[in-house]
Amino acid sequence: MTASPSESTVSEAADALEEFADRVAAAVGGRAEVAHGTVKVRVAPSAWKEALTVTSGDLGLVFLSWLSATDWTNEVAVGDEPDEPVEERYELLCAVSDLSDGNLAIISTDLDHDSPSIPSVADVYPGANWHEREAAEMFGIDFVGHPDLTKLYLPDSFEGYPLRKDFPLLSREVKPWPGKVDVEDMPENGGGPSTENPGA
Amino acid sequence: MQGTFAHHLSEAAVSVELETEGMTLNIGPQHPSTHGVLRLVATVDGERATNVRPVIGYMHRGYEKLSEVRTYPQIITIINRIDWVSGFANEVPFVVAAERLMGVEAPPRAQWIRLVLTEMARISSHLVFMASYPLELGAATPLFFALRERERVLDLLESVTGGRFHPNFNRLGGVKPVYAAGPVTKKAGMDIPSGFLAETRDAMTKVLATCDEIENLVAGNEVFLARTKDVGIMPADIAASYGVSGPNLRASGVGFDLRKVSDYLPYGDFDFDVPVGRNGDCWDRWWVRLEEIRQSCRIITQAIDGLPSSPLQAKVPRIIKVPAGETYVRAENPKGEMGYHLVSMGGLGPYRLKIRSASFSNLSILPWILEEALVPDFIAIMGSLDFVLGDVDR
Repeated sequence: MTASPSESTVSEAADALEEFADRVAAAVGGRAEVAHGTVKVRVAPSAWKEALTVTSGDLGLVFLSWLSATDWTNEVAVGDEPDEPVEERYELLCAVSDLSDGNLAIISTDLDHDSPSIPSVADVYPGANWHEREAAEMFGIDFVGHPDLTKLYLPDSFEGYPLRKDFPLLSREVKPWPGKVDVEDMPENGGGPSTENPGA
Repeated sequence: MQGTFAHHLSEAAVSVELETEGMTLNIGPQHPSTHGVLRLVATVDGERATNVRPVIGYMHRGYEKLSEVRTYPQIITIINRIDWVSGFANEVPFVVAAERLMGVEAPPRAQWIRLVLTEMARISSHLVFMASYPLELGAATPLFFALRERERVLDLLESVTGGRFHPNFNRLGGVKPVYAAGPVTKKAGMDIPSGFLAETRDAMTKVLATCDEIENLVAGNEVFLARTKDVGIMPADIAASYGVSGPNLRASGVGFDLRKVSDYLPYGDFDFDVPVGRNGDCWDRWWVRLEEIRQSCRIITQAIDGLPSSPLQAKVPRIIKVPAGETYVRAENPKGEMGYHLVSMGGLGPYRLKIRSASFSNLSILPWILEEALVPDFIAIMGSLDFVLGDVDR
């Protein structure tokens, strides 16, 4: 009953994922990436709205899972800096899915880091309305054509864009990351009593 | 002063003439139905709403930003506070996402324990709905039946994890060595508590019996039927385009359940049905959840009959660094699709963690569904969507 899936079913699943990724990429005119069981299709900003119109229509990816962004930058005020320099940009992501086989694709596009702006897709997926308001207040992305781009979570008077990497977390300014104090060196560097996790 | 008063009077006379103009009705910020703090700004024309604008953010805690300054084990302690009615279920997709990037898989026994506890979280979440929803419509009795059973399930959850609401029980690569089973130095003793399986079997029988009781109490009640049948109808295509998921979507006739199509937990090994509604009204949303409790009991009973033996934890380094990469893992949580888009740069914590919570999207359809609704139906409709504001605001 608990037999792990055989190698053939695993590779079949991987093939099906690749096939789905290629199908989406061909339909929206983008480039497919499949990693860790997640399908991402990169499109140009100019093709963003058209791509999502196609996914919601012909491709049958009618379910809007989420829309958000990642701030790729080398100047971070909180957390770890990237090990290797990254190309500075906002990556806008929109995850859409079908409601039969559970295929999910993340459509992604890169926005200019200085003045991120993109057409709104709130008229394609009505659920994007709130997600875009959130991305606008958190990352400072301008969604052109959005019906009501007001603040969603934050008070109207709030200044700054909290999820940008250069936005400091005040409590961390006062006291550095407490987690780091607890963390010992990796065992191979002489820290910690054992590599074995208790309970293993 | 007198002049001003007269001026007001004349203005009042003008507004009496314009009888058709809508009135703005502010509801909240308060508990609309005891699930957190929400405010509605409704424009009403008589008893009908013409426009409703939900105002959220009163419980925004900034978990996405906080996650960028926490280690992976620390994040598990905060994410189970997103939807506090089913804390355990919030943890699972996050640990699975991290495990995928690490190329680690939890051992079978750990996965089964996760599955059993996730289903228990589903039962307890749906039982809260079974308790609160009739109460919001004026029927207090089902609450006592539902909360009695919920306590039974929470006791079981607590006996394994040590926490009723916030278990913090998942570990990257497995589950925590269980506290109730003796001193942690004795490896052989570290497992689910003795008697857990027998007690679970017993509890599931009782929960199923209570489901029948609740159904007898509520399903034939004329007032409940009048308040819920054909009220708040949500067509499947509209619901999907708003990202409405879980029982709310299934009530609209879409038989989509991530447990059937996704492999974040070994649901493929189990036999269960996906209840689907017909009309997408409040009644269907209530009925789907009642059936889901029964199906979850079915899953748990199968799971405890065949609990595999294996370690509880895969071999992982003591200090966990997740290799660079990104993935999105979603799970069928009691409220709907809960997922984490995890971007790692190879550090001790995520570079970016996007939290997709079910209630956020389920609530975003409110302006659509409340348009043209009667004001007295507001609570019936909102209650039937079963949202938790912690899950909306994150």
